[in-house]
Amino acid sequence: MEQNNSLTPFPPGLASPQGAMTPVLPIFSPMMPYGTGLTPQPVQNTNSLSLLEEQQRQQQQQQQQQAAASQQQSGMVGGSGQTPQLYHSQVSTTTALPGNTPLYTTPLTPMTPITPATPASESSGIVPQLQNIVSTVNLGCKLDLKTIALRARNAEYNPKRFAAVIMRIREPRTTALIFSSGKMVCTGAKSEEQSRLAARKYARVVQKLGFPAKFLDFKIQNMVGSCDVKFPIRLEGLVLTHQQFSSYEPELFPGLIYRMIKPRIVLLIFVSGKVVLTGAKVRGEIYEAFENIYPILKGFRKTT
Amino acid sequence: ILKTSRQINSLPKVQCPNHPDAILVEDYRAGDMICPECGLVVGDRVIDVGSEWRTFTNEKATNDPSRVGDAQNPLLNGGDLSTMISKGTGAASFDEFGNSKYQNRRTMSSADRAMLNAFKEITTMSDRINLPRNIIDRTNNLFKQVYEQKSLKGRSNDAIASACLYIACRQEGVPRTFKEICAVSRISKKEIGRCFKLILKALETSVDLITTGDFMSRFCSNLGLPKQVQMAATYIARKAVELDLVPGRSPISVAAAAIYMASQASAEKKTQKEIGDIAGVADVTIRQSYRLIYPRAADLFPPDFKFDTPVDKLPQL
Repeated sequence: MEQNNSLTPFPPGLASPQGAMTPVLPIFSPMMPYGTGLTPQPVQNTNSLSLLEEQQRQQQQQQQQQAAASQQQSGMVGGSGQTPQLYHSQVSTTTALPGNTPLYTTPLTPMTPITPATPASESSGIVPQLQNIVSTVNLGCKLDLKTIALRARNAEYNPKRFAAVIMRIREPRTTALIFSSGKMVCTGAKSEEQSRLAARKYARVVQKLGFPAKFLDFKIQNMVGSCDVKFPIRLEGLVLTHQQFSSYEPELFPGLIYRMIKPRIVLLIFVSGKVVLTGAKVRGEIYEAFENIYPILKGFRKTT
Repeated sequence: ILKTSRQINSLPKVQCPNHPDAILVEDYRAGDMICPECGLVVGDRVIDVGSEWRTFTNEKATNDPSRVGDAQNPLLNGGDLSTMISKGTGAASFDEFGNSKYQNRRTMSSADRAMLNAFKEITTMSDRINLPRNIIDRTNNLFKQVYEQKSLKGRSNDAIASACLYIACRQEGVPRTFKEICAVSRISKKEIGRCFKLILKALETSVDLITTGDFMSRFCSNLGLPKQVQMAATYIARKAVELDLVPGRSPISVAAAAIYMASQASAEKKTQKEIGDIAGVADVTIRQSYRLIYPRAADLFPPDFKFDTPVDKLPQL
C-alpha cells in the first residue's frame, strides 16, 4: 500500500513549525511499508513454547494493522500540514506503532553538540529497511551438543573450530548458534517478530530432541538497517566538518564511519549514497539516526 | 680562576677571618679558596670538578671522556637517575668459577624498559625507510603519550609503535601508506589500522585526509621517472579527483593510475606491474582506475606536456 509521504510527521528532536515545544512523536506512520511480520505491540515474554499460538497472534496483529491503516487512510486527508492535532489523532486511533512500546513518546531531544545540528526541515521520505537482527535467548537447561548435532537436521558442529552447534532453518531464513550452556544466538532475521519466531522454532527443535528447553530472556541485541539517499555524497567534506564523529580512511575502508552519539548508532556512509546503520537495540533508533543524518548528507551532496 | 658566589643561607660559611664580608675566590687548580682582599688562603683541598682528561676537538674519539653515562633523554624517559653496574673488564671481576661478580646489572624500572624497547623499535623501523629525525622524535612523543594514558595497554607495543609512526608521518605532511609501514614492521595492516583508530581516539587528535599528491614524488623517484613525468602525473591525478572521475577510489590507486598514464605518454614507459609493486597496489586495481580516467585523458594532461606517445595511442585496457 503506497501512501503519500507528505503525511509524515517531523523527526524527533526538532521544534514544531509553530515554535512551541510540542512533544514529538516518531515519524513512522503506520501506513509506511515496513516489511512483513511487524508486530506493533510489545512482545509478551511468554515462556511457553507454543509456536502455533505465536503465528496466530502475528497474523491477527497483521490483520488489525491493515484494518486500522485502511480506516486511517480513508479518514485522513493527504497533504494537510503537520499540526499537533494530527499527531494526537494519530495516537488515539491507532495501536499500530512500530517499536516495542505502543506509545513511543520521545522527549524532546535538546540540541546538544552530541546530536548533529539539524536545521528545521521536513523529514526525508526514505525509510531504512532492516537487513539483520541478532537476538539471544536462554533455553534454561544444559545441552549436549553432540546429540543435537547428530540427531537434528541442518546442524553443524565442529568443536575444534567453534564450541557451538550451528543450526539453520529455512523459514524465516536464519542461523542459530546453540551453546552447551543452553544459551542461543539467532541471526539473519529481517524483523523483530521473525527473529522471535525463529528463536522459538529453534527452541522447539531442541525441545523435540528431548531437552527441557524453555524460552527465557529473549532479547534483541543488534539491528542492522540500510537505505539509499539517491545522491552521491562528498565524504571529504563530511569528515572535515564532523571530525569528532567521523572516521574516513580510504586505505582501510571505502566508506565513512560515522559514530552518532545520540542515538548510539554507527553509520557507514558511502560515496554512492548508500547508508548502512547498525548498533540499534530498537527499530526506532535506526529511524531516528537516519533522520538525524539525512539533512547533513543533503548538505554534502555532490553537485556535478 | 672560577668565581663562585655564595648563598647567604646555605652551607657552612667559610670566611676570611679578617674580611668576613669578602666573597672568596676559588682557585680550582690548587684547590684553594682565597680572600681577594688580603690574599689569605682560607679553605684548601677543594675537590676539583674539572675533567681529568684532556680532550681535543680534532681527535676522533668515539667516547667523550668528560661525559659520564649516556645522554639524558629527559623528555621521554622518567628522568632515570638509577645506577647500573656494568660488566666487568679485567680479571678481577670474575670470581672462582668464571662467573662474573655483581651479576645483576641493577635493572632500570620496567615501565621505562618497555618504552625504551619501543623507542629502539621505532628507530629501527624508521631507519629501514630512511625517515628523518623529526619524524622519529614525533613518533617517540606520540608513543609516550599513548603509553602513559594506558588506554591501549593490552595492545602489542610494536603495533602501537607502528601506528604512531604512521600518524607521525601523516602529521608531518609526508604520509606513508599503511602498506609501506607494514613492510618495515612485523605487524599486520589490519592491526596497525585498528591501533591507528584507537590512538586517534585516545589522544583526541585527527589527521588530514591523504591526497594523491602526497605520494607522487616518492613513487616517481622509486620508479626512476623524470621530473616532467612526475609533474604530469601529479596534475593528472589532481584533475581526475576534481572532475570526480574516480569516486570512491583510494587516492593511492588513483595516483598509481595517473603515474601509469603519464609514463605511458612519455618516453619512460612503466608497466602496471612495476607501478603496482612500488605503490603497493594490485595491477588490476590500477587497471580499474585507469579505465575510469582513460576516456578523459586528453583533458587530464597538463597543457605544456611533451607527448612521446600521443593521447590517442595510449594503451587501452
